[in-house]
Amino acid sequence: MLANIYWKRILVAVRNRGTLIWTWIFPLMMATLFYFAFSGLNEAELLKNIPVGIVTSDEYKNDTAFQTTLTSVSDPEEGFLSLTEYDTEEAAKEALKGGEIEGFIHLENGSPNLSVTKNELNQTILKSFLDQYVQMKHTVVSLIEEGVADVSQILSLFETESWTEALSLSKNPPSETVSYFFALLAMVCLYGGFQGLDSVSYLQANLSSMGIRRTISPVKRFPMVVFDLLAALTVHMACLLFLLAYLVFILDVDFGANLLPVIVTCLFGSFLGLSFGAFVTAVSRAKEGMKVAVIITVSLTCSFGAGMMVSGINYKIAQTIPLLSWLNPAARISDALYCLYYYDGYSQYFLNLGILAVMALVFSIITAFFLRRQRYESI
Amino acid sequence: MIHVENLVKRYGKLVALDHFNLDVKDGEIFGLLGPNGSGKTTAINCILSLLTYDKGEITLFGKPMSPTNYESKRKIGVVPQNVAVFNELTVYENIDYFCSLYVPDKAKRKPLVEEAIAFAGLSDYRKFLPKKLSGGLLRRLNIACGIAHKPDLIFLDEPTVAVDPQSRNNILEGIKALNASGTTVVYTSHYMEEVEQLCSRIMIMDKGRAIATGTKEELTALIHTGEKLTVEADGLPLSVLEQIRNLPDVLRADYAEGHLKADCKGYGHPVIDVLDLLRQSGVHFGQVYSEPPTLNDVFLEITGKQLRD
Ligand SMILES: Nc1ncnc2c1ncn2[C@@H]1O[C@H](COP(=O)(O)OP(=O)(O)OP(=O)(O)O)[C@@H](O)[C@H]1O
Ligand SMILES: [Mg+2]
Repeated sequence: MLANIYWKRILVAVRNRGTLIWTWIFPLMMATLFYFAFSGLNEAELLKNIPVGIVTSDEYKNDTAFQTTLTSVSDPEEGFLSLTEYDTEEAAKEALKGGEIEGFIHLENGSPNLSVTKNELNQTILKSFLDQYVQMKHTVVSLIEEGVADVSQILSLFETESWTEALSLSKNPPSETVSYFFALLAMVCLYGGFQGLDSVSYLQANLSSMGIRRTISPVKRFPMVVFDLLAALTVHMACLLFLLAYLVFILDVDFGANLLPVIVTCLFGSFLGLSFGAFVTAVSRAKEGMKVAVIITVSLTCSFGAGMMVSGINYKIAQTIPLLSWLNPAARISDALYCLYYYDGYSQYFLNLGILAVMALVFSIITAFFLRRQRYESI
Repeated sequence: MIHVENLVKRYGKLVALDHFNLDVKDGEIFGLLGPNGSGKTTAINCILSLLTYDKGEITLFGKPMSPTNYESKRKIGVVPQNVAVFNELTVYENIDYFCSLYVPDKAKRKPLVEEAIAFAGLSDYRKFLPKKLSGGLLRRLNIACGIAHKPDLIFLDEPTVAVDPQSRNNILEGIKALNASGTTVVYTSHYMEEVEQLCSRIMIMDKGRAIATGTKEELTALIHTGEKLTVEADGLPLSVLEQIRNLPDVLRADYAEGHLKADCKGYGHPVIDVLDLLRQSGVHFGQVYSEPPTLNDVFLEITGKQLRD
C-alpha cells in the first residue's frame, strides 16, 4: 500500500506536463543558453591580466624573492597580473579608489598584505595567489633548513608556469561561467517547490478532491505524508541529477574534482525547495495558480540574487546586506558549490548546508502542523 | 448504521446544517433530496469527519465517528460530488490507487479493480487517461474509484450529474445491484425522479434542515395533494377558473396555454366536480389526465417553492 503510494506518486510527477517543462526542460534550455552565451567569456577573462598595484617600499626593494615572483607572474603572455608600482601606500590607495587597480599589495614584516575594496573573483584569485606564495616561502625555508641544496629545484617553484599551475591545481581556474551554472542548479533545487505543492494539494481535503479521498481512507496520516513526500523528493533528485549529468557530461561544466558533495548539496537544496513549496501550499487556501506564482517568483528572485543572470551580484548583496545573502537559499546552494570548487576547506560548505537544513526544517515543521489536521472548517 | 443527532454546522454566519437529524438503517438505499445549497454535501462531509461542526453527535456502525476511527473508515466508500481522480494516472491505475488505500494486498486487489471496471462499464478504457474520457465516463470512473474496495456503506454525492440517460440508468441499476449484495447506500441528488426510482427511504432537505423523511408513499401522503389534474380546455373564462379554485376539494388551480391544472385532495371526487363545473359553464374540453403527486409536490407544498428552480 505504501509502496503503491510511493510509486504512483512518482508516476504522477513524471507524467505531469507542467512539472516536466518547468523542472526538466526549462533548466536544460537555460543551461544550454548559458553555455553558448558565455563560452567565449572564460578565455577573455583569463587573457586579461588582473591590474594590481605594489607599494615599492624599502622592504619590497629588499625582498628579491618576492620581486622575482611578482615579475614572473606579471608576464603579459603567461602571467595573470598586470603590475603597477606605487611609491607610497597613499598613491596605491588613490589608484584603488579610482578603479585603476583591483587591489594592491603592501609588504609588511615579511608578509604581503592585500588591500581590496571589492570581494569578487579577481580579489579571490589575488588572495589565493598570495596565500600560495606565503606557503611556498615556508616550504623553501624549511627545504633550506633541511639542507636541500638543489637550487634549481627551489627556483623552479618560482617559475610562472608553476604559479599558474599551482593556482589551477589547488583552486580551479577562475571562471565566471561556473557561477551561472551554480545559480541555475540552485534555481532547480528551489523548483522542488512544485513537487511540494503537488504533494500537499493531493493530501489536503480542502485543497483537492483527491485529498478528500485520501483523508477519508483508513491509511494513517503520517506514513501517507512521508511516503508521498519521499516520492516527490525522489523525482526531484532525479531531475537534478539529470541536469547535473547534462552539465557535466555534455556541456563539460567543471564542478571540481568530486561530484558527491555536489550531489549532497542538491539533496539539501531539493529538500529545502520541497519543504518551501509544501509550506506555501499548506498555510494558505489561495488558488493554486497563485501558489505556483509565489514559488516561481521566489525561486527566480533567489537565484537572481545568487548570480544567475548578473554575475557578481551575489558578492554585492553579501557585502551590502549580509543577512539577505545568508537567508537566500539559492545563494547558500551556489555558495556551497562555490566552496567545493574554489576552496579546499569544507567548513564554509558545511555551514551552507547547515543553514539550508535549518530553513528546510522550519518549513517542514510548520507544514506538518497543518498536515496533521484532518478535519477542516470548510472544504 | 448512521445516526446523526442535532447536527449544527456553520460556515461563518451561514448556517449550513440546522439541527439536522438522520438515521440510516442497515441495508437500505437512503436518498437525500434537496435543491442546490440545501446542505447535502455538508452533511456527508460532517458524517465522514472531514468537516468540523458546531454541535451534534455522529455515530457510524454504532461507534462515534472521528478522523482516527480507521476501523469505520475502512468500511466506507465515497463518491465525492467533484470528480476526484489523478489526471496523470490511467483508468486502471486510478482505481488501483484508491483501492490500495483499503486493500494493501496486490493480489487481492486485482480482481476487485477488474470488478469495479466492469461495474462502471469502463472495460474498453482501462488504459485511458481521464482527460480522454467523456464527462459521463469520467463520472463512472469517479464511482469506480469509490466502490472498488467493496465497502459496507457507500456515500454517493450526486454521482449522475452530466451523465446521459442511458449511462444514468446503468449506474442506478449498478447501485441497486450493490445494495442487493448487502451494501448500504446514501445517495444525494436533486433529481426527484432518480431518488424516487432508486431509494427505499428518502429525506427531503431544505436550508440545512430535514423537512420530511420516509418512503415515497409516506412522503406523498404527508401532503394534502392527492391527485393532479390536467384538462385541455380552450378559452377558459377567468370567472370559471375562480369557481374551480373555490371547489372544496381543489387546493390550487391555474390556467395557461389552453391547459387547466388543478391540484386536488386525495379523497372525494374532485375530477368529477371539476368536469361538471366546466360542462355547466359551457367550456369545451379535450383530454383529461390525472397523476399522483410527486416529491416535487411534497417539496412545493412544504416549502412553497419548486425543488428545482
Ligand atoms: N466552503 C464553504 N464555505 C462557505 N459556505 C459554504 C461552503 N460550502 C458550502 N457552503 C454553503 O453551505 C450551504 C450548503 O452547501 P452544500 O454544498 O452542502 O449544499 P448541497 O446540498 O450539497 O448543494 P449542491 O446540490 O449544489 O451540491 C450552501 O449555502 C453553500 O453556499
Ligand atoms: Mg453538494
